[in-house]
Amino acid sequence: MKTTVPRRLPRRGWQLFAASALLILCAALLGNRADATEAAAGVRTVDQDVQALKKELVDLNRDLFRLEEELLYPASTQVAVFLSLNVGTFFALDSVRLELDGKEVSNYLYTEREVAALHRGGVQKLYLGNLKAGEHELVAVFTGKGPHDRDYRRGTTVKFEKAIGAKYVELRITDRDSALQPEFAVRQWE
Amino acid sequence: MDFCDRAARARLKARAHTTVLAAAALAGVLVYPMLAKAAPAVGTVAPDFALKDLSGRNQRLSEFRGEAVVLTFWASYCGPCRSALQSAGAAVADRDAPAVALGVSLDRDNDRAASVAGSLGLSYPSLLDAGQSVGRLYDVQHLPLTLLIDRTGTVRQIWASEPVPAEVLIQHIRELDP
Repeated sequence: MKTTVPRRLPRRGWQLFAASALLILCAALLGNRADATEAAAGVRTVDQDVQALKKELVDLNRDLFRLEEELLYPASTQVAVFLSLNVGTFFALDSVRLELDGKEVSNYLYTEREVAALHRGGVQKLYLGNLKAGEHELVAVFTGKGPHDRDYRRGTTVKFEKAIGAKYVELRITDRDSALQPEFAVRQWE
Repeated sequence: MDFCDRAARARLKARAHTTVLAAAALAGVLVYPMLAKAAPAVGTVAPDFALKDLSGRNQRLSEFRGEAVVLTFWASYCGPCRSALQSAGAAVADRDAPAVALGVSLDRDNDRAASVAGSLGLSYPSLLDAGQSVGRLYDVQHLPLTLLIDRTGTVRQIWASEPVPAEVLIQHIRELDP
């Protein structure tokens, strides 16, 4: 009578099989990882390219804006009016009307967000234009809510001399604590 | 001889005048389109403006960048405008059509605008353009005028003379880029 003995791999065979399987697994994992790294590097490169392109576009836009400003408002005739707010407890700004030599050049309504930006230290370019050299008159009319939430409207007039260079005028709204009133000051730069 | 000289000089002068006039006309033709303010068309950036609303708050169009805007020009004397205003309100109330609505009244009398807006129960800002400066900026020829402005501030649709049904507005809002 013939008996069948189950075939068993020798111990050494098992070890070889396990080592091979492990090697294949490692190779597969490493391969995947390499692919992923390559893909990530590719994405990063594209992303960097896009970012670089965006930066170039922003720079180009800035240069174009400067060029346009230089062409439209040459330094010899340029006049710019800025507005800033310092504290502003006694005055809630609503609008500013600007007249240059009797002609209205700007009438600006301020939203809550814009007033908040001015409160945080923002300076607004209210007007940019051209003027010939000589004496000029600037009238700024501020409207808003004054102390005790009353409607408040006040005008400031300033005469200035425009020379050959660009002229910058800053309208500054500050609080006069002693009088519990707002104060409207004008500063000039050449 | 002297007569010939004078005639030649006169001809030369006439030719110079004609040349100057032609150059001026050409310059006018070329420069006018650049200086003239064109009404906003589909695909152009909606001109920015700031106006007071009925509650006295100042509203600026550019502060709604990032949101789709349904801008409706209307007046109290315009019957179909009421329907246009209600359509805009119904469209922006739809959850699947995220947008804000703004109405711009061209009434010279703010009280009349307030009365109509109140009677319609509008839930969105009604801006007052009594001076019609924004009306001129948008070259409003027919009322109602409804513009759909996308998140980047570009005009995507314009409907003039008749109210747009709310469903049409909703459809167009949904089709805007997310």
